[in-house]
Amino acid sequence: MVSKLSHLQVELLGALLESGLTKETLIKALSEVEPYMLQSESQRAINALQTEKGESCPEIPNLPNGMGESRLSEDETSDDGEEFTPPIMKELENLSPEEAAHQKAVVERLLQEDPWRVAKMVKSYLQQHNIPQREVVDTTGLNQSHLSQHLNKGTPMKTQKRAALYTWYVRKQREVAQQFTHAGQGILTEEPMGDDLPTKKGRRNRFKWGPASQQILFQAYERQKNPSKEEREALVEECNRAECIQRGVSPSQAQGLGSNLVTEVRVYNWFANRRKEEAFRHKLAMDTFSGPQPTPAPPLTPHNSSSLQPPSALSPSKVHGVRYNQQPASEAESSSSNHHGNNSMVTTQTILHQVSPPGLEPSQNLLSTDTKLISASGGTLPPVSTLTALHSLEQNPHALSQQTQNLIMASLPGVMAIGAGETSSLTPAFTNTGASTLVIGLASTQPQSVPVINSMGSSLTTLQPVQFSQQLHPSYQQPLMQQVQSHINQSPFMATMAQIQNPHALYGPKSEVAQYTHTGLLPQTMVITDTTNLSALTNLTPTKQAFTSDSETHTESGMHTPVSQAPTIHLQNQDTTIQNLQPGPRLTSSPAVSSSSLVLYQSSDSTNSHSQLLPSSHNVIETFISTQMASSTQ
Amino acid sequence: QAGKAHRLSAEEREQLLPNLRAVGWNEVEGRDAIFKEFHFKDFNRAFGFMTRVALQAEKLDHHPEWFNVYNKVHITLSTHECTGLSERDINLASFIEQVAASLS
Repeated sequence: MVSKLSHLQVELLGALLESGLTKETLIKALSEVEPYMLQSESQRAINALQTEKGESCPEIPNLPNGMGESRLSEDETSDDGEEFTPPIMKELENLSPEEAAHQKAVVERLLQEDPWRVAKMVKSYLQQHNIPQREVVDTTGLNQSHLSQHLNKGTPMKTQKRAALYTWYVRKQREVAQQFTHAGQGILTEEPMGDDLPTKKGRRNRFKWGPASQQILFQAYERQKNPSKEEREALVEECNRAECIQRGVSPSQAQGLGSNLVTEVRVYNWFANRRKEEAFRHKLAMDTFSGPQPTPAPPLTPHNSSSLQPPSALSPSKVHGVRYNQQPASEAESSSSNHHGNNSMVTTQTILHQVSPPGLEPSQNLLSTDTKLISASGGTLPPVSTLTALHSLEQNPHALSQQTQNLIMASLPGVMAIGAGETSSLTPAFTNTGASTLVIGLASTQPQSVPVINSMGSSLTTLQPVQFSQQLHPSYQQPLMQQVQSHINQSPFMATMAQIQNPHALYGPKSEVAQYTHTGLLPQTMVITDTTNLSALTNLTPTKQAFTSDSETHTESGMHTPVSQAPTIHLQNQDTTIQNLQPGPRLTSSPAVSSSSLVLYQSSDSTNSHSQLLPSSHNVIETFISTQMASSTQ
Repeated sequence: QAGKAHRLSAEEREQLLPNLRAVGWNEVEGRDAIFKEFHFKDFNRAFGFMTRVALQAEKLDHHPEWFNVYNKVHITLSTHECTGLSERDINLASFIEQVAASLS
């Protein structure tokens, strides 16, 4: 877009500008200097300049039509009779005409390349320097949505527009390089610092935390939530250093970070916001725990009909803001299982569901502490971004195994434990992901809630028999299944176990069981495993074989029977199944019949998320079968 | 406001000239001056360079002796007032280096 200026003219212009001449002065001089050129030419030049000026520097007054040198060089009138294109102004801005020509050449070269490759380059540059898209949009005149799509998704962009983008890119690189090399020195004309043009939003871009800095801050936050001024200042240095390194620049040139420079005030604010966030999450958790009235999150089956259960042991432990509610399984009756450990992680991610729905609900709660909290509070605005802290959760994978253990232990003692709300044992499980798969499923939060997955414990609690029976809701199942697929946590396993067991052990009444199976909360979840289980069963035990031969329905019916059986049997089975499962039978995912699916998750089975469901169901089936057998024999 | 026009003493030379020598400036035989040859990609760049230097020279009120053929520029710096090297030459030389660097 260097357009009509000859290279020499460009060079000379650049030289002039570089010598300290401002555009304003230049324009003014053009109008004042005696008419050396033909008036028409001057006018054209002036008009062109005006246009460009207008585009880039709104404050420049219009030049009068009239005499004035139209060209810096005293050559004959140039051949372009039309308006100079905007680039001219940009050319003038270039400190070096040579540089301008060079830039133009680079842009041309970029235009020849594969647009997607160049887009990726530009995008990564934006990320590296934490440049807001808005800045690009303001200076290039491109449409923000179009730009975003082009950079992120490769949506085609016309050559002319791409040229504008690449020109911006080339210039920005130079500008940034200058910012860094002349850090601290007020160099040159146009604002090399911050943004290139006085945007409507003001001179500087809004500050944005870079990922490197955030990591440093979160680590510091873990150490101490309230750092002193000295510590904050140390963090400032550390962050700026990291940001410079990210940009491939020497840390001594931190001033070049411009609008993204980390200052002590910013660090102070960051800590304040995180503290508020945590307090808020805690508050939500407390609220949920004590009595959830808030409207359940729509995404999930807004069951919330049941009131939240009596505050189960809201586990006070928080892991970096991960909060989980634990609900005493004891209150089996009290449906509202809302309080299950909530992982803040889950929550944030899920942010969808409400805790309420009985049975599966609990899992939901588990899923999204944040979301739950948010919904629970019924409209209280969460502080800053409750979403930010979750990252810490992600870093506790070890919790999983712990949880599994806990869950298993919990389940073994019998449903009682589960039902009785032995939350304590389950508590740890909640810690991290807490969200049992069930929960997740329920929450339909989806797949990403990986962290959630851990909460086996939560699932257990949720499983409380009573709850199950009541509200098995088809919707739960599906999410659950999804969850299972995405994670391989023990939780699903345990959840299944819990589910299965609870009804049986604690609540003899078939009704419950029946409901249980019907609703299919379990069944659905099991769905996944169903078939598999059957086959697995076959392999595992004779009972299974018998079972296998049956159809799914059979299994289901089988489930009913066992329900009424003594819990102990179940327990034993569970034990066995659990143990058996350990080796990790691989079950193909098939729709689980019921219960069984739930049980099958094993921590060891980290390889197949899908299979996890299966194994659990597998176990479940086993359990059922045995029960069945038992019953039949009886 | 030109810099001092007094001839550089031996110590001053010892202190200032090495830097310039390091980037290619050489002392001229037979006179107290420094000289360097510049090459550019093409005439445009060369002349752009010269323009910049010229503008600065005007500002400093200290002008170089130079020669240009297409993309080459030969520059000799010396101070007339003291018939030798002075601070002005050093300043201008530094500026010239800066410009040349940014253009290449």
